[in-house]
Amino acid sequence: MSDWIIILIKIICALVWFLVIALYLTWAERKESAVIQDRIGANRANIWKFRVIGLFQPFADAIKMIFKEDFTPSFSRKFLHNLAPFVSFFFVAITISAIPFGDVLRIGGREIKLQIVDFNVSLLFVLAMLSLGIYGIILAGWSSNNRYTLIGGMRGAAQLISYEVALGLSLIGLILVYPSLKLSAIVHFQGELLWGWLPKWGVFLQPLGLLIFFFAALAETKRVPFDLPEGENEIVGFFTEYSGLKWGLFMFTDFMEVLIVSCLLTTLFFGGWQVPWLYADGFHFPWGGEWLLPHGIVVAFQVLAFNLKVFFFCWLQILIRWTYPRFRYDQVMDLGWKLLVPLSLVNIAGTAILLSLIG
Amino acid sequence: MAKIFIDEREIDVAEGTTILKAAKSAGLNIPHLCYHKAFIPEGTCRMCLVEIEGIPKLELACSTQVRDGMEVSTKSESVIEARKGVLECLLADHPIDCPICDKAGECKLQDYYEEYGLFESEFNEEKEKRQKKIEIGKNLIHDQERCVLCRRCVRFLREITKNEELGVFQRGVHTEVSTYEGILVDNNYSGNLAEICPVGAITDKDFRFKARSWFLQRSESICPLCSRGCNIYVESHQGFSRFSLPKRVYRIRTRENQIINGFWICDKGRYEYSYLDQERLDNIVVNNSQDSHSWPEITSLIAGEIGRLYHMKRSAHIGLILQSWLSNEELFLIDKIFRNDINIEKICFLDPPEEAADDFLLTAERTPNRRGAKELGFDLQPANWEKFLEDVDLLFVFASPIRDDTDFSLLKAALDKIEKTVLFASHNHEINSSFDIVLPMSLIAEKGGSLTNIVGSVQGFSNALDAPGDCRPAWQFLVELGNKLALNIDFYNQFSDPESIREVMKKEISFFREKQ
Amino acid sequence: MIKALGYFIEIIKGSLITTRHFMVNMWFHTLKLFRIKTKRKGAVTIQYPEEKRDIASRHRSLHRLLKREDGKPRCVVCMLCVTVCPSECIYVEAAEDPDPEVQKVPSTFIIDLSRCCFCGFCVEACPEDAIRMDTGQIEFAEYSRDKLIYDLEKLTG
Repeated sequence: MSDWIIILIKIICALVWFLVIALYLTWAERKESAVIQDRIGANRANIWKFRVIGLFQPFADAIKMIFKEDFTPSFSRKFLHNLAPFVSFFFVAITISAIPFGDVLRIGGREIKLQIVDFNVSLLFVLAMLSLGIYGIILAGWSSNNRYTLIGGMRGAAQLISYEVALGLSLIGLILVYPSLKLSAIVHFQGELLWGWLPKWGVFLQPLGLLIFFFAALAETKRVPFDLPEGENEIVGFFTEYSGLKWGLFMFTDFMEVLIVSCLLTTLFFGGWQVPWLYADGFHFPWGGEWLLPHGIVVAFQVLAFNLKVFFFCWLQILIRWTYPRFRYDQVMDLGWKLLVPLSLVNIAGTAILLSLIG
Repeated sequence: MAKIFIDEREIDVAEGTTILKAAKSAGLNIPHLCYHKAFIPEGTCRMCLVEIEGIPKLELACSTQVRDGMEVSTKSESVIEARKGVLECLLADHPIDCPICDKAGECKLQDYYEEYGLFESEFNEEKEKRQKKIEIGKNLIHDQERCVLCRRCVRFLREITKNEELGVFQRGVHTEVSTYEGILVDNNYSGNLAEICPVGAITDKDFRFKARSWFLQRSESICPLCSRGCNIYVESHQGFSRFSLPKRVYRIRTRENQIINGFWICDKGRYEYSYLDQERLDNIVVNNSQDSHSWPEITSLIAGEIGRLYHMKRSAHIGLILQSWLSNEELFLIDKIFRNDINIEKICFLDPPEEAADDFLLTAERTPNRRGAKELGFDLQPANWEKFLEDVDLLFVFASPIRDDTDFSLLKAALDKIEKTVLFASHNHEINSSFDIVLPMSLIAEKGGSLTNIVGSVQGFSNALDAPGDCRPAWQFLVELGNKLALNIDFYNQFSDPESIREVMKKEISFFREKQ
Repeated sequence: MIKALGYFIEIIKGSLITTRHFMVNMWFHTLKLFRIKTKRKGAVTIQYPEEKRDIASRHRSLHRLLKREDGKPRCVVCMLCVTVCPSECIYVEAAEDPDPEVQKVPSTFIIDLSRCCFCGFCVEACPEDAIRMDTGQIEFAEYSRDKLIYDLEKLTG
């Protein structure tokens, strides 16, 4: 019974974290783009004249979105049209269950993993869920019964499927290095040291894999350099016929994807919750010093490290979104099939050869 | 015939023509202010100077007669220089208050300055101050500063009306046009003075500050206020897209027609135009209710009533009261439908009484088409009303416009006894409420057709204004009625416009065939 | 491949530009947060209702009608502004003035600001310099359209 309660608490904590951070990513995106462009950004939303650099903006946006007319066009397939945003949202939201936020937390003799479910194939699970997210887009594009949305949906499907290949292949090298599909195990492996001082993070062991994964994952989020399914100035996008809360869900899913991609990048290539040289009992520096810490502080450090890494990658993705113009459709396909897929194959082969040489 | 060359163009004109007329016949315009076709040229303004080969000084085009082989230049350097000089002298003492001048936009001085002047004034002297607002007639305001002393007004009063109410006084720079001892210009043609004044010296009090001339749209029409049939322009304002104007017609001007009215119209025709906009009836009224009705519906209703009485052999109980404001075509159609087809005898005219005529244009008859009605065989004698209104079950009254002094007392008493009464009216009038059906009619200015004037000339006209609201010309109603009655369908089917009716009229009635 | 590498370098350069902007601006924002005054600001934004930009001297703002010394409007109802107005938003009616030197004064002068496109043609056309667009007023939004119809009183006032 108490196990269920713990799971429930974990789910609630993770989801709240996930949704709140995603919500604030909308604000962060507006602010960051403003700072990049020498502007100020949203700063007018206030509660009793308190503006707090626009921190209430996401709530204002949400309230607006909720109260806008939810319009379903008469020519659409009503059921699928209503279902699509929720499909999209659900498959992104569920991936958070496999992300490890930290190591084990011991409270009153109980060991609680800071991860909702730690199953053996969590990596595959995450990939599977991310690919299922496509359904939302295709359904939205198709059920709207509008030429532009259909083109958007088809573009989305083609793009996501293409990059799914590179995404999957780029991780095979990683799995060769850390022989597990379990995310918690992968993070644990990254706590080891190479040559006694360098943490065995994916970024050091799989630099090419990281690059490929990052590009493919960016394409998966379908945000600006890869925003062909939307392409506002060309085809308006697969959610043309949506409004109000359902449109908001699509938008929100985008930001959740950004967050999930950051989580995955952190977990797979940047040591997850690992802090260099921090072990269960404290820091053991490679030059001989050590700084012992109580268990609670260590766990706090780990969770903090995970968060900071995730925020960095969110920042990076927003920066990329506000730097580059959109790719042309053929360029996207070229990049996916002619560059990333061959490179990932090279990466697999290289890794395999190197590993077999080392033994 | 003399052969002359103007600007190296060969022109054949009759001996004795002036250069200006010869040039005009060839389409060349020589600027002029004082010359007017109606008057003997006086040559006071000096604008029409032209160069003639072999004559050292420039000559006046308005008063120099052509000689065979004469070579005239209207565009040579010295002519242009002279025009500029004349303009500069005229403008030296002109206030150039075009913003407040009603003539602006149609002022010859403005036009010529744009065309031939465009100089910077070299006069440093103060301009002469004169009186800017003198009342010289019941509808005329004189501005002595603007006057260029062309004397057209003086000549008009001398040559046309022959009562010489204005004269030129003083000498030199003090020369001015004025009345004799303050006695105002008072004749029935004084309105023409404002029109012939080439600048804004004499302006019309009626038009004063009402609109700028360039907003007005001028369209041709015929004056319906007496039986002379003077040719006129109706000048209407189209209004602004965002702001509606109180009226459409802003002034009536003359249209040249040498046979009928020359260049002039009387003050009655010029100033009595408010009936075109005031108190207009613009919707169909049935039994004094506010319900809206359509023309086809009402036409069917009336055709049904007539048909019923006709088939019951009771068409003798249909009465028809007409007015000679109807055009030839409309009277012709009435003749066809009511006299030919359904054979009724009770037709009479309710025209206003004759008034005093003057010895120039205004006639005693105050409706435009009595002659036309006479030629169509209608009896214009005043009817014996009591006898006429006996035994009438269905009465049609064409009364557009109704004059305030028309005597309706007899008719009004009889109306209640008549089963069904139909009024064709153009204005709201107290009598309207006594009728069962009141149909809005277009006025002469709002429809096409032809009128026969007192001396029997038939003049066609087309609509100068759009009819307001549901108003329709009577001929359109009559054609549809003829079609609905279905007694002679082929005949009424051929009419689509007044011209097609006139063609048939010409074929059938010799008077209209001869008068072309 | 080399071409692709060239793109790649440009892509990195691009992101460095945005990163530099972000870092520099963030630095000034942070300094401002700690109330340290700097010559440069983190953003070029003018915070409109609180801060206002100077209006250029030839800026075309709300119209006004000028008056003569005796307080009568200078307008003589020549209707040139009405004629020239491309959005047909001016309406003027004339009245008689007892002074023979003036003669014509406006009894009605209406500008429908909801239609006005602020082209300034009326100012250029005016022969009496009676209308100008130099009030510097640019905030006259209203909640109802009829309040945007300015009459003689409002325009001279």
